[in-house]
Amino acid sequence: MPYLGGEETVKELRRALSNPHVQGDPLRHRSTVLRVIRVMSQGVDVAGLFSEMVKACATTDVVQKKLVYVFLCSYASLNPELSLLVINTLRKDCQDPNPMVRSLALRNMTNLRLPSLVEYVQQPLTAGLRDRAACVRRVAVLGWAKLHSLQPHADIDAAVVNELYSMLRDNDPVVMVNCLRALEEILKEEGGVAVNKAIAHHLLNRLKECDVWGQCEVLGVLQRYRPHSEEELFDILSLLDPYLLSPSVPVMAATLGLFLSLCCRGLPAVSLAALRRAQAPLLAACGSASPEMKFTALCHVQLLLRSLPGLMGEHYKRFFCGYAEPAYIKQRKMQVLVELVNDDNVGFVLDELKGYCTDVSPDTAQAAISAIGRIGRSYSDQCLEILTGLLGLKQEHITSVVVQTMRDLVWVCPQCSESVCEALEGCEDTLQDSQGRQALLWLLGVHGDRVSSAPYVLEAFVEQVRSEMAAGVKTELLTATMRVFLCRPAETQDTLGRLLHYCIEEEADMNVRDQALLYYRLLHCGIEETRSVLQGRRSDPSLGVLIGRPAEPVSQWARSFNTLEPLRQCNAGAESAPQAAPYHLALDPEPSLDLCDPLNPSQDRQETGEMAALHRGVAWDQHRAHEHQDGPAADVPGPSSSSRPVKVYHLLVPVADQ
Amino acid sequence: MIHSLFLVNSSGDIFLEKHWKSVVSRSVCDYFFEAQERATEPENVPPVIPTPHHYLISVLRHRIYFVAVIQSEVPPLFVIEFLHRVVDTFQDYFGVCTEAAIKDNVVVVYELLEEMLDNGFPLATESNILKELIKPPTILRTMVNTITGSTNVGEQLPTGQLSVVPWRRTGVKYTNNEAYFDVVEEIDVIIDKSGSTITAEIQGVIDACVKLTGMPDLTLSFMNPRLLDDVSFHPCVRFKRWEAERILSFIPPDGNFRLLSYHVSSQNGYPVGYRSLVAIPVYVKHNITFREGSSQGRFDLTLGPKQTMGKGVEAVLVSSQLPRGVLNANLSASQGTYTFDPVTKMLTWDVGKINPQKLPSLKGSMSLQAGASKPDENPSINIQFKIQQMAISGLKVNRLDMYGEKYKPFKGIKYMTKAGKFQVRT
Repeated sequence: MPYLGGEETVKELRRALSNPHVQGDPLRHRSTVLRVIRVMSQGVDVAGLFSEMVKACATTDVVQKKLVYVFLCSYASLNPELSLLVINTLRKDCQDPNPMVRSLALRNMTNLRLPSLVEYVQQPLTAGLRDRAACVRRVAVLGWAKLHSLQPHADIDAAVVNELYSMLRDNDPVVMVNCLRALEEILKEEGGVAVNKAIAHHLLNRLKECDVWGQCEVLGVLQRYRPHSEEELFDILSLLDPYLLSPSVPVMAATLGLFLSLCCRGLPAVSLAALRRAQAPLLAACGSASPEMKFTALCHVQLLLRSLPGLMGEHYKRFFCGYAEPAYIKQRKMQVLVELVNDDNVGFVLDELKGYCTDVSPDTAQAAISAIGRIGRSYSDQCLEILTGLLGLKQEHITSVVVQTMRDLVWVCPQCSESVCEALEGCEDTLQDSQGRQALLWLLGVHGDRVSSAPYVLEAFVEQVRSEMAAGVKTELLTATMRVFLCRPAETQDTLGRLLHYCIEEEADMNVRDQALLYYRLLHCGIEETRSVLQGRRSDPSLGVLIGRPAEPVSQWARSFNTLEPLRQCNAGAESAPQAAPYHLALDPEPSLDLCDPLNPSQDRQETGEMAALHRGVAWDQHRAHEHQDGPAADVPGPSSSSRPVKVYHLLVPVADQ
Repeated sequence: MIHSLFLVNSSGDIFLEKHWKSVVSRSVCDYFFEAQERATEPENVPPVIPTPHHYLISVLRHRIYFVAVIQSEVPPLFVIEFLHRVVDTFQDYFGVCTEAAIKDNVVVVYELLEEMLDNGFPLATESNILKELIKPPTILRTMVNTITGSTNVGEQLPTGQLSVVPWRRTGVKYTNNEAYFDVVEEIDVIIDKSGSTITAEIQGVIDACVKLTGMPDLTLSFMNPRLLDDVSFHPCVRFKRWEAERILSFIPPDGNFRLLSYHVSSQNGYPVGYRSLVAIPVYVKHNITFREGSSQGRFDLTLGPKQTMGKGVEAVLVSSQLPRGVLNANLSASQGTYTFDPVTKMLTWDVGKINPQKLPSLKGSMSLQAGASKPDENPSINIQFKIQQMAISGLKVNRLDMYGEKYKPFKGIKYMTKAGKFQVRT
């Protein structure tokens, strides 16, 4: 950061610091040091004052010491040689009768982070471990962790590790927790602290003495402990039980995490009971004043619902969105609402979601519409009514998402296709973005026989194909026109001819051109051949009407509870969803059905979107045709190749998890 | 655990950074700025942002983002809670937690951060202990410091860390012994078009300011403790006693602290048909319509008090985000003043006090863009208000007694109800 007059200031400060009058007057000396820190925090490079500041360190004034340490810790790495001078003062301070000075010196000695100083630091650190004052021991214990991070590859002194282990029995709870933290870091390569029965029981008994942060730490470490007998396990659980209702959300979450890791393998019933018990504090956290806390709690509620679908059914109103809530919370709440829908509340939830569809923020509106689409899988009539109503608004972004949602809905609920086809009439004028138009084209292609205006809509699209930018829309248009041609040849023949002519003669995009050529040759093979290739399935054959959601075993997600994992998924879903379809057009969709996880809305929404985009029989045929004609893609394995499903799996999963 | 902390203001400048382990370059915040740019509103920045080598966990308070840089797996709730604790401490020290306050007290901020975390692990977070290590700046102390040359850093080992009661230091002395309790309730309500309540919740807190000599042992009893169902206490409260007798018994920390916070909701745990515990203190009559084909819209809003037990509703402020198509609003207010910002389409009406005899109303017309179609979103109305001397849940303190010390303290209790997120849909 450029700072006007920076050099002048540094010069002036240096003059002041080396002035014997200033040095003689403790008050003036300190205020000069204070000015150095202030200037430093404004972004001026005051590294030049290092030697003067080192001298200022030799003082009896605790405050001045603190300030000098702040300076030294920031600039030590630039001046390793000069820092050697400080060590002497610091080591002297470690002998000071005031425990506060001792701990301060020790803390800053380790904060210098200079590998060259390690040998001088070790001795005072060892002494610090046996200091009378708890605050010095706290610092000394963590100091070893800092030393270790300076030399991560150096051998660990077994004596130190043993000492740290024995200090787990220290009187001071913070020392105990710091020992755990230090050992975790030092023994990282060996998998952290080894928790045996004695240590585990000791930690559990001391738990109530720790502050909330310490409790979280201890509970986290205990996850690694495996009780030897069922009796012991239940003793531990009943000891932990009160912490499940702790007013501090982090402690509650850490306790629940420990519960799950202790019993998700052997005792699924107990872990389910723990989840039920943790429901109330989690709900309270969902209503917390801090939006960040709310968000994290919501993500964890989603995890819970994977194993106990409908758990919070009667509390669905808690997940209604407030007007001023941040968009990320609204979207999460809607995902939870989708999970909570049952026969009693479906009307209320849909009413509420309907209100969000016209939200000012397009993202929120989109999420609401997709949520309605998800609910539509079980309650299709009510949802279709709302979706059709939304089309009437003629709002660009709303129409686009509604059409995409309808496409996904028709794919899993073929019984809706009748009403969807009726609703589609006339919405092509409002659609602007490529995703929405692709969805419309797919619907027109597959259900062309039921939409009376289908050929004319397609004709309008073909007329504007020159100004079309998105290749995805063009390929979709080709397929749709072909399909409509098969069922209504008289009305479509002319349009198809023009489209194929344009795509083969003028189109610049190779994929589109190849596809047009493929269709052209296909038509040469005869109409029956074409029909057998193009008319794929109209709906997902593997799905019946959904009756309740299957409950996942807790062990599936127990490991990711109270970690960053559940928060990550949402980001990936939100970011990659819009771009998912076009990139994966060339994949065979069928294996991906197995991946479809109906319990995870974000992932699922995206995958079904992909599935619908994929499942048009196009890709498959393309490969086959290329094989026939020895085209450029002839080396792509055919659909019968056994390696395909695996490959698709690898390609799809990163999109969902990134 | 927490590697570094960056403080970012709403215009996207880092104005303070602190590293507990090795120095992490500022460029890690670029991912945060990207997200900040993408978010339309400042509060829409996602709290957790993954980057290739780090995670950024951020908390937005007082228009400042507190961005923690994390390098390994951590419990997210832990970090979020800790960041909030940092902000609370700053607020406690400086009165306000603004960019200017932090810049003015930058030295104290560095000291605080140094004490609160060591090697990225929480060290001393209890405000009473911190205050012994580092004295908060006050105007008086700043003046005294300049004259006498003492500073705001404690030179003694904090005794609180060694006393039997970790939250209270020993040897407290006051000439006036006083204990004040503020019962503050915030009511969050969503009311739908037809006037029925969708959700109603009360978030209540009891904040205390206790300045008592020695080691007093206080008990506080309520007239209606059954109301308190979903409660979280300050660690000083003896929970066993509360469970058995519904009496709060505690040795208070010295100074300001939050004794308990509670939550009363309209629907949980009560049988169907049970009268809702949450009384709505204000009602709204509204009529906001746009006609098809006309470039005018009608706006009519009346406020009135309801279930306030005779207490006046004060500091009423109504705000509403009108649809984008509205060009201007030509209204007349029976009391107070209104403003309409044609750029953000935000209508605010500063009503002041509601007089039950003459209800305040805001009436008039809105002009719409010519030729535009009828706006389809209905504006929702947000209301803020305050009611003094009443807790809307009906919570009342019965008595406060002190044991363990001889003197007679001065005791005071104050009630207040505020609107939290009070929203009426139209």
